[in-house]
Amino acid sequence: MTEPRSPRAAESAASPDSVSRASALTWLASPRIRPVVPLVAVLLLGAVLNANGAFFLWQTQRAVLREIAVEGILACGMTVVIVAGGIDLAVGSVLALSAVCFAWLTLPHGWSGLGAVLVVLVVGALAGAVSGALVAFARIQAFIVTLAMMVFARGVAKELSGGQKISNYVQSADGHFVNVPTPPIFGVLDGRVLGGELSVVTLIFAATVLVTWFVLRRLRIGRYLYAVGSSFEAARLSGVPVRATLVFAYLLSGLFAAIAGICQAAQETHGDPETGLGYELDAIAMVVLGGTSLAGGRGGVCLTLVGALTLGYLQKVLSLNAYSTELRLMLTGAILILAVLFQRRVSRETE
Amino acid sequence: MALLELRRVTKSFGGTAALRDVSFELEPGEVHVLAGENGAGKSTLIRIIAGALGDYAGELRLGGRALHFDGPAAARAAGIATIHQELSLVPSLSVADNLLLATPGSPLAAVDRRGAREATTRALAELGLRIDPDTPVEALSLAERQLVEIARALTTDVRVLVMDEPTSALSAPDAERLLARVKALAGRGIGVIYISHRMDEIFRVADRVTVLRDGERVLTARASELGREGLLRALLGREIAAPAVANTAEKRPIRLRVRDLACDSRPRLEPVSFELRQGELLGVAGVEGSGASTLLHALFGDGARIRGDVALDGEPYRPRAPAQAFARGVALLAGDRHASVLAAQSVLENATLSSLRRFSPAALVRRHLELAAVKPEALRVRLKAPSLDAASGALSGGNQQKVALIRCLLARPKLLLLDDPTRGIDLGARADVHALLTELAAAGTSILFRTSDLTELTALADRALVLFDGRAVATLERRELEEARLLSLMMGGRA
Repeated sequence: MTEPRSPRAAESAASPDSVSRASALTWLASPRIRPVVPLVAVLLLGAVLNANGAFFLWQTQRAVLREIAVEGILACGMTVVIVAGGIDLAVGSVLALSAVCFAWLTLPHGWSGLGAVLVVLVVGALAGAVSGALVAFARIQAFIVTLAMMVFARGVAKELSGGQKISNYVQSADGHFVNVPTPPIFGVLDGRVLGGELSVVTLIFAATVLVTWFVLRRLRIGRYLYAVGSSFEAARLSGVPVRATLVFAYLLSGLFAAIAGICQAAQETHGDPETGLGYELDAIAMVVLGGTSLAGGRGGVCLTLVGALTLGYLQKVLSLNAYSTELRLMLTGAILILAVLFQRRVSRETE
Repeated sequence: MALLELRRVTKSFGGTAALRDVSFELEPGEVHVLAGENGAGKSTLIRIIAGALGDYAGELRLGGRALHFDGPAAARAAGIATIHQELSLVPSLSVADNLLLATPGSPLAAVDRRGAREATTRALAELGLRIDPDTPVEALSLAERQLVEIARALTTDVRVLVMDEPTSALSAPDAERLLARVKALAGRGIGVIYISHRMDEIFRVADRVTVLRDGERVLTARASELGREGLLRALLGREIAAPAVANTAEKRPIRLRVRDLACDSRPRLEPVSFELRQGELLGVAGVEGSGASTLLHALFGDGARIRGDVALDGEPYRPRAPAQAFARGVALLAGDRHASVLAAQSVLENATLSSLRRFSPAALVRRHLELAAVKPEALRVRLKAPSLDAASGALSGGNQQKVALIRCLLARPKLLLLDDPTRGIDLGARADVHALLTELAAAGTSILFRTSDLTELTALADRALVLFDGRAVATLERRELEEARLLSLMMGGRA
């Protein structure tokens, strides 16, 4: 191809000053540096504003790591689906369904924590597998399939809970309301470890990142996921079991949504059918902020971790410095676009 | 005075010259056929005329004025309309709306629906097409769409009409009608540049023929004076392929037995029967749309339902998915590089994709196993890549093709199906691929390869199967393989 040289290229050849600017840009745009630039920018902003030193306290870091955990777990599953060339809009609703299921089994029905966890994981994985099967076998667009699953799972959550939060204040057989004991798993999941310095949900998030990394980078199915996302047709003609691979991606996303839902229920100490509204969009934002392309076949969970930290710290910096919620939302939207524009623009200039 | 004139046009891509010093003249009211094998420079020439390539040496004159188009829109505005092989209509819109899209004007201007419908009906009637202008384009037959495309090109004031293989997807009677229309258009004073691979068609429609070979103009002559023999001679040049070598595969056992295999995928394949021995190289000759690709994909379990009986090493063979074909030791290298190479994935990841089970015991991918297998293959095919971790999409076309070949080889195929394996790759890579195929065949791999390059076919194949219009029209033995004969058969002529 013979494309005309961009005016920028001509300009950078002209003066030594712009040459050094170009080389700095090249460094910023190198694949290893590029994804962390927005995160570093947010951290610098936090350090400059610093909110009377509050930004530098460990408890601030601990809070950020806790606050991003639930959505971060969703983002791990989302990464797998996006790498495979799809999208999963249902994760927020599956999270709510899982939270409700978990509370419903443990509180009014008195199940043990472990039994409830297993059942809820199966429920989440099943919801994901159904989405995956519809995408892979019925060949309906992922956006539509998971949009339908998002509505459906929310409906099941509301049906199961009767539209109410399921707490430990339950109606007994004789019609009186009594407080039932909350199983210890609630306290464990909502607690901290390492002498109170790290939240348990943060550990679970870290474990999810590790598992996702292992699946994508070490397992055979990981190669298949990238192949399918890169080109469904080429993967199929290469003998990749394309349909099973797609089902697996959505199943894993559903499974992670169930884990996130259990954590959410433990933190809220009840099962709320209205919880997790819009979480799927935050999860997608984390993936995209990291630099994983929505086109599929590229990216990875380490990028998503960076994206989750960027979004988490951005929220924290804005709230520490007492920006109003309204302003925070507007700034978050604007900064999301800026970060993605930066990554794309820089990568285009160097490629 | 010539309507359109190219003077000494030269165009290079990278280091290779696609056109060298080519001059070309189009008179008003003539149909001028542009002929040449794949890679001869035809498409480069028409892209320059259509304004799609601006960066060339030489001069383009339209109606005596020297012009330089800085884009397709400029060429259209000057009265040059181009109809490409891939139609550019919007399938979901009606015929009238598609024609309306071509008329210049503000996007916000009010649409005169009735006027547009009447204009459409008039334009279609001129081409002998009677269809309701409100019909969505997707409901039309391929032949009708082709005519609508022409009608759309004619909505602007056209002086030069460029048509790139317009009949390649049409049935014989539809093609016949289209040819009559093309003649009629020329009768109105429009100059038509017409690209075709079909012998009959060329002599039905052409006033003059220009033949390109290896980027140079070989001749321009009146079709009536040139004759079929003369055209074939000009297309091929005088170099005739290397002398035949003895067919060593003759005594070996039969690997693939195909009986009345047919397939309804587009382009369709009518019942074909043949046998392929171990270590034999069977060439499938056929132009685009002849059903040759369909044959390869049918044997790979890809596409529509197939009919007929196929046996592989004596066992019934009917794969329903590519994964099943791989499991039986059959690998396909698809003709479209986007379907054979994952551009975003590394060389290593591409290479092991079809045989990943072997490199991932207990589902864990072992990089050292992959490297141990891929490195020697990369050397063997002379792959040039910055590293095995480089993205495949960053490699040259020839090296991407080699990556896809390594992927097929690592699957240890008994039967290798290759769809135009050297299309668009440079001479060095082409020689490497040829050497590899000969070596594989000698080691017992059976190879079925489609190609549109006749020099390649005659040099490599032990036998050749010629397809035309979905039918097997001939099977030629090694000693019968002559380029002129093959070309004539591929274009629907007699041997």
